[in-house]
Amino acid sequence: MSQSTERIGGIYGVAAEFEDAEELLAAVRALRERGYRKLDVLSPFPVHGLAEALGIRRSPLGWAALVAGVTGASAAFLLQWWTGAVSYPLVVGGKPFFAVEPSVPVAFELAVLLASFAAVLGMLALNGLPRFHHPVFAHPRYPAVTDDRFVLVVENDGERFDAVQASEALRATGGEHIQVLEAE
Amino acid sequence: MRTAIAVLETSTLTEAGWRRGRNLLATAAVVGWLLALAGFGADPQRFAFSYLVAFLFVTSLGLGALFFVMVQHLSGAVWSVSLRRIAENVMGALPAAFVLFIPVGFNLHRLYEWTHHEAVAADSVLQGKQAYLNVPFFLVRGVAILLLWALLSRLLRTWSWAQDQNPRLAPPTRLSAAGLVLTVLTVTVAAFDWIMSLEPHWYSTVFGVYFYSGSAVGFLAAVILILLGLRRAGYLVREVHVEHYHDLGKWLFGLIVFWAYIAFSQYMLIWYANLPEETAWFRTRTQGAWLPVALLLAFGHFLAPFFALISRASKRNLRQLGLVAAWVLAIHYLDLYWQVMPALDRSGPRWHWLDGATLLAAASTVGLLFWRQLRGRALLPVGDPRLVRSLEFHNV
Repeated sequence: MSQSTERIGGIYGVAAEFEDAEELLAAVRALRERGYRKLDVLSPFPVHGLAEALGIRRSPLGWAALVAGVTGASAAFLLQWWTGAVSYPLVVGGKPFFAVEPSVPVAFELAVLLASFAAVLGMLALNGLPRFHHPVFAHPRYPAVTDDRFVLVVENDGERFDAVQASEALRATGGEHIQVLEAE
Repeated sequence: MRTAIAVLETSTLTEAGWRRGRNLLATAAVVGWLLALAGFGADPQRFAFSYLVAFLFVTSLGLGALFFVMVQHLSGAVWSVSLRRIAENVMGALPAAFVLFIPVGFNLHRLYEWTHHEAVAADSVLQGKQAYLNVPFFLVRGVAILLLWALLSRLLRTWSWAQDQNPRLAPPTRLSAAGLVLTVLTVTVAAFDWIMSLEPHWYSTVFGVYFYSGSAVGFLAAVILILLGLRRAGYLVREVHVEHYHDLGKWLFGLIVFWAYIAFSQYMLIWYANLPEETAWFRTRTQGAWLPVALLLAFGHFLAPFFALISRASKRNLRQLGLVAAWVLAIHYLDLYWQVMPALDRSGPRWHWLDGATLLAAASTVGLLFWRQLRGRALLPVGDPRLVRSLEFHNV
């Protein structure tokens, strides 16, 4: 206890390497059962069932894109109606000042544009990107996650976090190269 | 291996269940055809138009199935393997359409203005189109197109049935590639002939795509309903699970958007150019009591299902997906009705009992052919080496 309390705030978490996906899934489940909620996994490929095991909720990104898309479409209709029929009414080609038909392509494009912006920028924001460094880079086996290994991180979730206990929990589930990661 | 054995146990309809289904369909067919025949005696012209809509409706479902199956082969899709056999059986509507075309062929004079000699004689536009729009050529085109579609659907089914015995059989990718090109080309001819020539002065080059996209929408809705029906009867419960329905929902969603894109492109260009010979078709179809139908199409064939299917949860909720599919299938019929019927009823829809009777006759005939293919045969391609992967498939 006393060892870790002095370093609280300075620790990002504890990371361990796992050799195969089954072992990793079992470790994630075991750690969640022991009460560890803030877990992260670095994996070279998507592992079925991992998101559920980690307790990751579905991203709200889809809703953000929907709201942005509806905003884009509404703004486009509003813009075309206001410029064409209110602010500067001008007869062009004998068409009405404002009509739904020719406004749809612009509304469609603006809906797509804003929805894409919301999706891409929202994805970056939710992931905390861009960033140039991450504490997990300090793990000696970190490069192996781009090849055939997995790294499981028990993240520091506040006051009650104990790096020694977390390390032991990781060891008990079969993790190797266990390392405490310093916060930035 | 355990999964594969469990699959085989529940993958064939029981003989008693099959017979019940057949008797139901056969009764519907007898009733439908008797009513249709009576209607023909009472009002032959109404019969011709009602029947044309029913014929187009069932043909479009088979056409959508043919498109879907060929795309699965070309993309090498794994997820859809466990439901591919049902889609292949819906293709059975195409050989049926070949036979169902006969009443259309005998009623050309009641349907198409360009078959009337006195009308052509008084109309220079129709005279100009005579080299294409004449009865013998029309029939030759119809027969050739339907023969091609029936042949393609049969070849694909034959391959699939042979694969049950021989898992090493290579997928029919070449057949699908050639078939898809030929189908797209012939769909345009079919839509021009059977629907567009009802108003022989009017033309729209995108009309074939419009019909094809609606066909694909109709098929997706139909196959979801068929699978849900089988599921309720206790078949394909584990084999076609929520992940498959989720993907079918995505297909339906995407095709609804594609249909709207095509339908609107056709409408907007004509609206913008505002040329009398082009706007005539839409004028008829947005005047009087047809306007609510047109608005219902914009709302019910696009906006409502778009928002009903946009969320992940709604595509994975089988009850909601089933309701949307039933709605979309009905609105697909209305779409064809709105294209065909104004040629007869200028001022607005005049709903007639023959609409229902001819639909019952055509749909139960196609249903019987669909049902016949299920007898004693696996409901999924048991020989496909990708089947186990399809059963384990998961959306990320």
